[in-house]
Formats: sequence, C-alpha cells, structure tokens
Amino acid sequence: MFEGVPIISIIILLPLIGAIMSFSLGRHDKYAKWVALGFSTAALVLSLLVVVAFMVEPNTGSEGYHEGNGFFDFQFYEEYSWIESLGIRYIVGLDGLSIALFVLTTLLSTISILFSWDTKLRPKEYFGLMLVLEVGVLGVFTTLDYFVFYVFWEIVLIPMYFLIGVWGGPNKDYAAIKFFIYTHIASLALLIAIMAMYFEAGANSFGMEDIWRAGQSEFARTFQIAVFAAAFFGFGVKLPMVPFHTWLPDAHVEAPTAGSVLLAGLLLKMGGYGIIRVAMPTLPEGAEALQLVMAAIAIASILYGALVCLAQRDLKKMVAFSSISHMGFVLLGYATFTQVGVAAGVFQMFAHGLVTAVLFMMCGVVQHHCGTRIIQDLGGLSKKMPAASTMMTIGFLASLGLPGLVSFAAEFMVLASMFDTWALWLFLPIISVAITAAYYLWALQRSMFGPLTTKIDTSHVHDMNWYESVPVGLLLALIALFGVFPLVVFQYIDPAVRIVLDLFGGG
Amino acid sequence: MIPLEYWLILSSLMFVIGAYGVMTRKNAIVVLMCIEIMLNAANINLVAFSSYYSTLHPAFGTDVSGQVFALFSIAIAAAEVAVGLAILLSVYRRYQTIDVDKINILRW
Amino acid sequence: MIDWIAYAWLIPVFPFLAFVLIGLLPKRTLGWEDGGGYAVAGAAGALVLSMLVIWDVLNGQTLTHDAPRSTWLIIGDFRIEFGIWVDQLTAVMLVVISVVGTLVVIYSGGYMHEEGVGRRRYYAEIMLFISVMYGLVIADNYLQMFIFWELVGLCSYLLIGFWYEKPSAASAAKRAFIVTRVGDIMLMAGLIILFKYVGTLDFAVLFGQGAGSIVSRGEIPQDMLTLATALIFGGAIGKSAQFPLHEWLPDAMEGPTTVSALIHAATMVKAGVYLTARTYPLLVQTPESLLFVAIIGGVTALIAATCALAANDIKRVLAYSTVSQLGYMILALGAGGYLVIHAHEAGGYAAAMFHLMNHGFFKALLFLCAGSVIHSVGTNDMRSMGGLRGKMPITSITMLIGSVAIAGIPPLSGFWSKDEVLAAVYEGGEFDPVFFALWAMGVATAFLTAFYMFRMWFMTFAGAPRSEVHAHESPKIMTVPLMILAGLALVSGFALFVGEGFMGFIERSIEDLPVTPLHESLTDIAVRIFTDPLTYVSLVLAVAGILLAYRVYYLPGFDRSVFAVGVRGKLQRALENRWYISQFYDDFAVKVWYGFALVADWFDIYVIDGIVNGFAYLGANMGATIRKAQSGNVQRYASLIILGIVVLLVFILYVLPWGGW
Repeated sequence: MFEGVPIISIIILLPLIGAIMSFSLGRHDKYAKWVALGFSTAALVLSLLVVVAFMVEPNTGSEGYHEGNGFFDFQFYEEYSWIESLGIRYIVGLDGLSIALFVLTTLLSTISILFSWDTKLRPKEYFGLMLVLEVGVLGVFTTLDYFVFYVFWEIVLIPMYFLIGVWGGPNKDYAAIKFFIYTHIASLALLIAIMAMYFEAGANSFGMEDIWRAGQSEFARTFQIAVFAAAFFGFGVKLPMVPFHTWLPDAHVEAPTAGSVLLAGLLLKMGGYGIIRVAMPTLPEGAEALQLVMAAIAIASILYGALVCLAQRDLKKMVAFSSISHMGFVLLGYATFTQVGVAAGVFQMFAHGLVTAVLFMMCGVVQHHCGTRIIQDLGGLSKKMPAASTMMTIGFLASLGLPGLVSFAAEFMVLASMFDTWALWLFLPIISVAITAAYYLWALQRSMFGPLTTKIDTSHVHDMNWYESVPVGLLLALIALFGVFPLVVFQYIDPAVRIVLDLFGGG
Repeated sequence: MIPLEYWLILSSLMFVIGAYGVMTRKNAIVVLMCIEIMLNAANINLVAFSSYYSTLHPAFGTDVSGQVFALFSIAIAAAEVAVGLAILLSVYRRYQTIDVDKINILRW
Repeated sequence: MIDWIAYAWLIPVFPFLAFVLIGLLPKRTLGWEDGGGYAVAGAAGALVLSMLVIWDVLNGQTLTHDAPRSTWLIIGDFRIEFGIWVDQLTAVMLVVISVVGTLVVIYSGGYMHEEGVGRRRYYAEIMLFISVMYGLVIADNYLQMFIFWELVGLCSYLLIGFWYEKPSAASAAKRAFIVTRVGDIMLMAGLIILFKYVGTLDFAVLFGQGAGSIVSRGEIPQDMLTLATALIFGGAIGKSAQFPLHEWLPDAMEGPTTVSALIHAATMVKAGVYLTARTYPLLVQTPESLLFVAIIGGVTALIAATCALAANDIKRVLAYSTVSQLGYMILALGAGGYLVIHAHEAGGYAAAMFHLMNHGFFKALLFLCAGSVIHSVGTNDMRSMGGLRGKMPITSITMLIGSVAIAGIPPLSGFWSKDEVLAAVYEGGEFDPVFFALWAMGVATAFLTAFYMFRMWFMTFAGAPRSEVHAHESPKIMTVPLMILAGLALVSGFALFVGEGFMGFIERSIEDLPVTPLHESLTDIAVRIFTDPLTYVSLVLAVAGILLAYRVYYLPGFDRSVFAVGVRGKLQRALENRWYISQFYDDFAVKVWYGFALVADWFDIYVIDGIVNGFAYLGANMGATIRKAQSGNVQRYASLIILGIVVLLVFILYVLPWGGW
C-alpha cells in the first residue's frame, strides 16, 4: 500500500508539524486543540493503515521489507545516512514487537488530546507539547539506530517535564523536577551502555542491527553483564521497577490527567520495549547472568506495588502504584526467557496501556467533578454519576485481570510461563491477584458505593461530559474487543518474539 | 649595562607590591592604581627582555618588538584606566561609596 | 430432524443478546418492567433451546471430542482453542439453570416492581449472569471454563451489591468477590500446572483414562497431578462456599432475594460442584485429593448446619442450609471417587448430581418463598414474623413443600437424593474408614437440617403474629413460579424411576472411567432403598428433627430461655456468631494484610523515597555550602587567584619533578 512512501517518517513528522503550528498560533490559541486533534488523528489514521498493510506472513521480497538474518525482520524500513563519520544513521522500521505500541501511541495521544478539550491555561503550549511528546514516543518505538533512539528517548522527557510543571497539581514543581532528574540519571546509565556497546563492537555504526551482529563475537561475558546491568537500570527505572519507582507516584499525582495517561500508557512502555528490543537480544549472556535479579525485582514489584495500593488514600496514587504492580508482570514475563512469557509480557504492555489510560481518565473525571480524589472523602457517587461509576467499575475490573477483558490473557500467560521456569515459586506473584482485587474493590466500595458523602459539596456534581465519556467509552470497547479476541494482537507479537528467543540460543 | 636580574627583581617587587595593594586596599581608586603598578611591572619585563635579547643575539641587530609591545600595553592601560574610572564614577553615583568591601552584590 | 445439540453454543447467546439490548436500547423502548420483557424472552429462548439439546442428550447423543472449535490464542507452540462440550453432566446443569433461571426472571417481574429505574440494571445483570453460567457448563476446556467462572463471580458481585447505597451490601459484594477470588487463585494455579505439563487444557486430552491417561503417557508426574487436582478443587471451595471459605455466602444475602435464589439454586455456587464433577476423570487418579474433597464436604455440611440453628434472618437460615447441602454434594463426590476407584461404581457421583438437581429446585423454591414473605412483611427477621399462614396461603404451603423436601421426607425429592448420598458415603467406608465418620456427620446434618428448616417454618408461618405488619399474599406473577417449583420439588425425585433412571443416565458421562454400569432395574433401586436399614436411620432422625422443632417452636410451654445460660448459652452465642469464623477474617486476616500494606506504604514514603530525597537533599546542601565561597568580594577572588597560581607554580616546579615527571 505504501510502496515508495516513507510512511513511518511521515507519521512521526505529522505531530511535529502540528506542534510547530500550535506553538505559532499567537493570539488564536483557541484553535490549538483543533490543530492538535487534526494532526494526531491524521497520524492515528495513517498508523491504522500501516497495521492493515503490515504483513503477518511477510513476503520477503516486497518493498520496505528488511530481512534481519537473525535479528528482527522489519517492515516499512527506511534508512538515511546522517553523520557518516560516526556511523550515525536515521533508520526506522516496524516489526511485531513495536507495531502494537506504535498504534497505542497514536491512539492514546489522540484520545488524551480529546480528553483535555477544556484546557484553558495556555492551550497552544499545552497541545503543542502533547504533540511533541507523541513525536518522541513514536521515535523511540520505531528507531533502529542507538544514537537517534537516545535522542528521541531524551526528547520525551522535556514535554512531560513541562506538562507536569506547568499544568500540574499543587506540588508540581517538586514532582516535575524529581521526574526529570530521576529518569535522566537512568538515561545516563543507558547512554553509558550505548557508548560501551558502540566502542566495543567497533563497527563504526550506531545501527542496532550492526552492533548486534558485531556483538555476537565481540562482546565478552563480563562486558555483557556490566553493560546489561547499566541498560537494565536505564530501562528499568522507566518501567518502573522497585526500588527505583518513587518518581512515578509523585509524577502521577501531580500531572494533569492527560499527562498521566501518556506517562503511564506510553512512557512506561518505553522501558519495557527497550529491554526486549535492545538489552536482551544484544546482551544475551548478560541477561542470562542476571535472570534471577530480573525475576526477583519483577516479583517484588508485583507484590510490593499491590500491597502499597491497599494503603493509599488518593485514588490516583493507588492507580499509579497499581501500574508498578502490573508492569512487574511485563518484567516477569521477560525474565522467564520463554516464548510464552516474553510474548505475554509484550501483550501486557499493550493491555496495560489501554487499561491504565481508562483508570487515569476516571481519576481525572472524579477530580474534575468532585474536586478531590481522597477516597475517604468520596462515597456514593454512583447515585450522582452513574455512567462514570459504570466505566470506573469496568476499568477496575479490567485492571484486576477479569477474563473477557484485555489483561487476563497476558497475566495468565505470564503466570503460566513463570511456573514453567520456576515451578512453585508461582505462588508468590499469584497472591497479588487477590490483593489486586481487594484494593480495587475496596476503593470502589468506598468511593462509588454506599451512602452519598457529606464531606464534600456534591450538589453540583454531574455525570461525565462528552469529551470525557467518548474517549473512555472507546477505550473500554477496545479493552473488551482485545479481551475476547487477543489473537488480533498476538498474531503480530508472537512471530517477533520467536526471533528474540532464537537470539537467545533456542529458548 | 645593568644586568637583567636587577630589572627582574624590580619588576617582581612592583608586581608583588601591586598585588598586595589590590588584595588589601579598600579604596577602589587605590586598587586601580595598584593594578597600574602591576601592569607596569609587566612593561618593565617586556622592555628588559627586549634589550637583553638584542645583546644576546647581536647578529639579528636591534629587535624592538618587545618595546613596541610595552607601548601597546601602556596605551591599553590608559584606555583601561579610563573605563575603570568611569565604572567607579557610576558605582559611586549608585552607592555613594567606592569601598570595594561594600560593593559585593554579585554574590550568591 | 435438526441436530439441536450442534447448536448448543447458541444457548448463552440468547440471554447475552438480552443483556446487550437491555443495556443499550433507549429507555422508552424497554417496555414491560424496564427490560423485564427482554429478560423473560432471553431466558425463555435459552430454556427452549436447552430443552431441545437435553432431548438430544436423552436420546443418547453427546458432543464431546468432535465438536467444532475456534482458535482463541496462538502463542509459541501452544494453540488455545475454544469449543463446546455437551454430555449428560452438562444436560443436568442445563436443566437446573434454564428452569430456575427462567422462573426467577418471571418472578422478578413482581418482586422487583417497586425498584423503578434500577430494574434496567437488574435485568441486564441477571441476563449476563445466566448467560455466563450457560457458557461455563458448555465449555470444553478449563481455560474457557475459567473465563466464564470469573465472569460468574463478577455478576454475583454486581448483583449482591445491587443496592450499592447500603454500606452492608457494598461490603458483602466485595467480600464475595475477594473470597471467591482466593479460591480462583488456587484454581488458576492448578490449571497452570496442568497447562505446563500437558500443554493444553482441553478436556478431550486431559481426560484420557487407563493407558491413555496423562500420567500413564508420562506427561505429568503423579504428585503434580495430585497437587493440580487439589488446587482445582480449591476453586470449588471458594465458589461453592465450602469450609473455610464459606462465610461469604451468608453475607451475600444483601442482594435482592431473587438474586439469592439464582446464586444458591442455579448459578454461582453450583459452579463449584460442577467443576469438581467435571474434573472427575482426573480426580479418580488422585485418591489423596478425593479424600480431601470428601473431608471438606463433610465438615462443611455439619458446620453450616449448626450455624443455621441460631440464625434469625430467614435468608441466612436458607444460606447456611445451601452451604450445608453443597457440603453433601461435595462429600458424595469425594466418596463416589473412592467407589469408582475400588468398586467401579458411579453411585456417589450420580448421587451428587442428583442432589444438585433436586437442591436446585427446592432451594429456588425456598428462596422465592422467602422473597414472597419479605416482599409482604418488609423484613428479613423471623422474630418479627409469625402467623403468616392464613394471610399467605400459597406461600406457606409451597414453602412447607420445600422444607419437607430439604428435610428428606419421602416421597419428596430431597429424600431420594440425600439417601443416595449417604448410602454412597457409607459404602465408601469399606475402602477407608474415615468415610464412616463422614457418614455420621452427614446423618447428624440430616437431623439438624430437618430441625432448622422447621424452626424457620414455624417461626414464620405458625403461631401468632409478632408484629403489626399488614401481610398479604403476593401477586400471581410471583406465586405461579412458586407453584411450578413446588411441583418440581414434589416430583423431581422420581427422576430415579423414569426412562433409564437418573443414575443410569448420568453415569454415562463418566463411562470412560472404568465404571461398571449399574445393572439395576428401576424397581431394584426402590427395593434397595427401602430395604436398607440406613435409610431408616436418616429418616427417623429427620422426623425427630421436625418433631423437636414442633415441640420447641410451635407448642406453647417451652421455655427457650434455657438456651441463654451456662454451657448452652456459650454454645448459643458461638452459633449466633457463626463459630467466630467471620470475626476471624474481619479481625485477623483483613487487619494483618492491611497492616502489611500500611508498613509497606510507610516503608515506601520514608525509606525508599527517603533515600531518594536524601540524595537530593545532599546535593542541594552541598551546593548551598559551597556557594558561600562566592562572596562577591573582588579582593578575595584576586587573593584566591594569586594563591592558586602560587600553589600551581610550586606544584609544577617542585612537586612534579620530585615525583619523577
């Protein structure tokens, strides 16, 4: 469909053009949201067309197909030289690992822009920054050159810093700075890892595939362990993993709703994506040496995140901690080094992106209409906002892994692969399934059910606005769709993961 | 011919005296004067080495480039004094003092 | 002749369509009872199709190994496919779900009439509930079953919490979901074990017997299979409210009574029994798990029966009686497994399923009667009822039929199945003496059952009214389902003697297990039952229970204050507090976990984040200290510059050469 058209670059450029237009609107800042919606929708539509054109059973001769010869096989492949003397090229392409996250990015960006429809504070900067964020995340998910990858990786931080710092809650300065510095330190570890791989490979190329190929013979075991540790730290902080997670609750609590949606829905996925795209395939011996560390951290994240949720008073903070718990499943799936585990981990990223977006949006709705998110001050809101409470209930149920909704397949498969690798240690992470149900239902009981609260003035509380219910409804429909038909997504992930495990020596 | 060492001792003395003045005097004009003394110490060095060089290598004839540099230096020093005094005048107008201890707003 | 059984997958579709329509249609098109019409239509459609399918099964057709399947997931080397599985066991479940489900929905037309706008939500959720329960019983692999299993839990959560503005209802719903989820975790773990070793969860593969069994084929070690079956039964412990996870069911009374009827008779709790019965081909390979099953069942039957003795809430009495009767079924399944292993007989298995069906009818009847009473009196508390017999004749008589049936008096249904259950357990004693003890518990339970059921009936309907409520009989839409169910409770026991007989019918579902068909003629069965002295033991005890209740709660002159003093008082209070099990969960388990959570939260804020902020503080403080050097004093800068030059010169001229450079 896209023969001879650099479609990936076009999709990355669209939001960038939109951002520049939005920034330069001058006095006409009420059109910013229309500009943002237009450009993000265009990117969304094009990315959906890309999915349609993406070949599940690749025809190896077709244009834009790039055979990895052991590395990942890419489609819609584009390659341009940039800084030749250093071997830096602009390479983009999609495979089964990235395509789900790619579409998730365009989808969530569009939806969060729609959700922020009534932003009144500096709209042109706000929507412009959202688009810049989309550009950065899209770049991370498509770039196949470490240098450009790192550039995009860092670009993402800047709009998020401003989104938290300008449009955030009462403690926004603290949260924004903490977010930036914490994740930036992690990025430095990543940079060190990239540089180490570049020089050790000696291929005078930053291309992921070139470095991987050279690394097959050049990377010694101790080198791999050290560099994997650095890269794992760099990606893991973003994931986030316990104990390097504390930037996340603060950033979420203070960020505006759409910022939280993108933060949890996309930025966390960058960490999970990096581990599976970069760290594990390129440094397999390092990964193998640190397998137990990965698993221990994953289980700690799952259980600890769930337990801390139980004690939260702020609805949004609870959802933030639940992200830690659920992203632990991603890491646990990876750590098994099995086909089932890794595929389920990738799927869990996609599922979590959809579900957590709903949850943060519902927190935003509660905040917007009731003026508070403290669970103890809420209560009985079902009476006042039936649609909101229904959507919140479905969202919570999806997040606690109810079958028929999207997370179930992922969590079940991760746990199955966990048993495959570590047998009865299975009983540690599986406890979290009950704790998760407990904290969600308890929160639901105290905020939505029971008699109407008297601690806040509820006389003006009304149900959701259209720009709130349409995005949430759309996401819920997708959650149910992919819950019933997970194969729709798995058919892309599964072959790509097979390649990861071939890299691993059989898996 | 006075040996080079004497000139160097003189210029060192002038330099140290100037530096001492720069570090200790409170009056900004005196500090400026001390800076001039240090500058002239350098000028003496330039001239001294210049003539010392000529005596060392008579084959090259008389090389006056060092002395020319001294002249440059004097001219720049004059300009610098003008600028320095102008700054001091402005400072005095603003703060009614030229005590360098009190002019410390450029700090943490 | 249409092959109806091939369309069994359509059964859950009818109620599901009703659910979608009620949920999405605009309000004014909902019609009768705000969606009640669609609900009745959905339930009736499923009923008709179920009956057609059952007809096919009765004619010997099944759809098991060769059903069409569709792919749900391909991951690595695994291909997970979903399909349908209809055999005799499924047919029994279909009977119960379709009949009880339809009658409950019709009854709701009267019972929920005053609910107003909430009815739409009610009917939608009820339809989803029935739909997923159908889905559960026609699943052909454990994963598909587990999906519907969880959805059944979800629907019960929604319906128990239907009156969400009541804090107790919201709390009970949450408790039901979380407690059953604990069981679900065990089930999930059991399934994961099977999946890892066998690579599939399809019944067709897992249920091979003899040389074809998964152990014989070397796919799973025996001890792992034992663990897996025990864990799968753990799911039934949660769902079917078995000890020690039984306390959620009595609390689940907070929902509308119709919901209770559905949960107790047809949907939720029967799923656990069904799961255990479905797992039979695996359970009979693991005798240890079977013993576990039997003991849990026996203990549950007795404990729940004692708890029912002191309950004053009419629905709570019925709830405990459900737990107790479910214990019977589980006990019969456990004992029946021993019979299959050692005697190649399916008696216990058949008895359990027979009791499940009979219980479905009479428990639905009892709950709907209780609903009728509550609807009329406006309270659940039996202490403020009494003397309703004259005012509610139909309800009182149908409830009496239900009570007699559950008490086990011939010829009503409960007698036949309970007798078969106890006979099977006693027979199991031949192979493990522990079954004699379990049999004794079962017989004691039969006595207690008769006593508390009639205590309830006498307190409610007999004697003089104890409050000023103006009671009246319920409308026809409610009493007609009662009469139908009463008729079923009267006659369903005779299924033993119809056609090939219930026992012969159901045992064909496990004929692959080495089971010798019972070559009993139908009259043989009757003769066996009435010549066995054990039949009379339980019968006499049941009659004694009724008479005791008559003496204590009907005849005047009995001073019930003797229950309040001394040892009896202590016992009474223990019973009223349900053996403190509930308190244990509330005061201990919940607080311990919440305590963990608070500690973790504290740790997060003050230790982990404390370290992070500590680094930030360190950095900031160092900066604050060092910047003091920037004093703004030009002379000090100059001094430092000169000092620096001197130090540097000394270093270059003296230290470096001294060091060898």
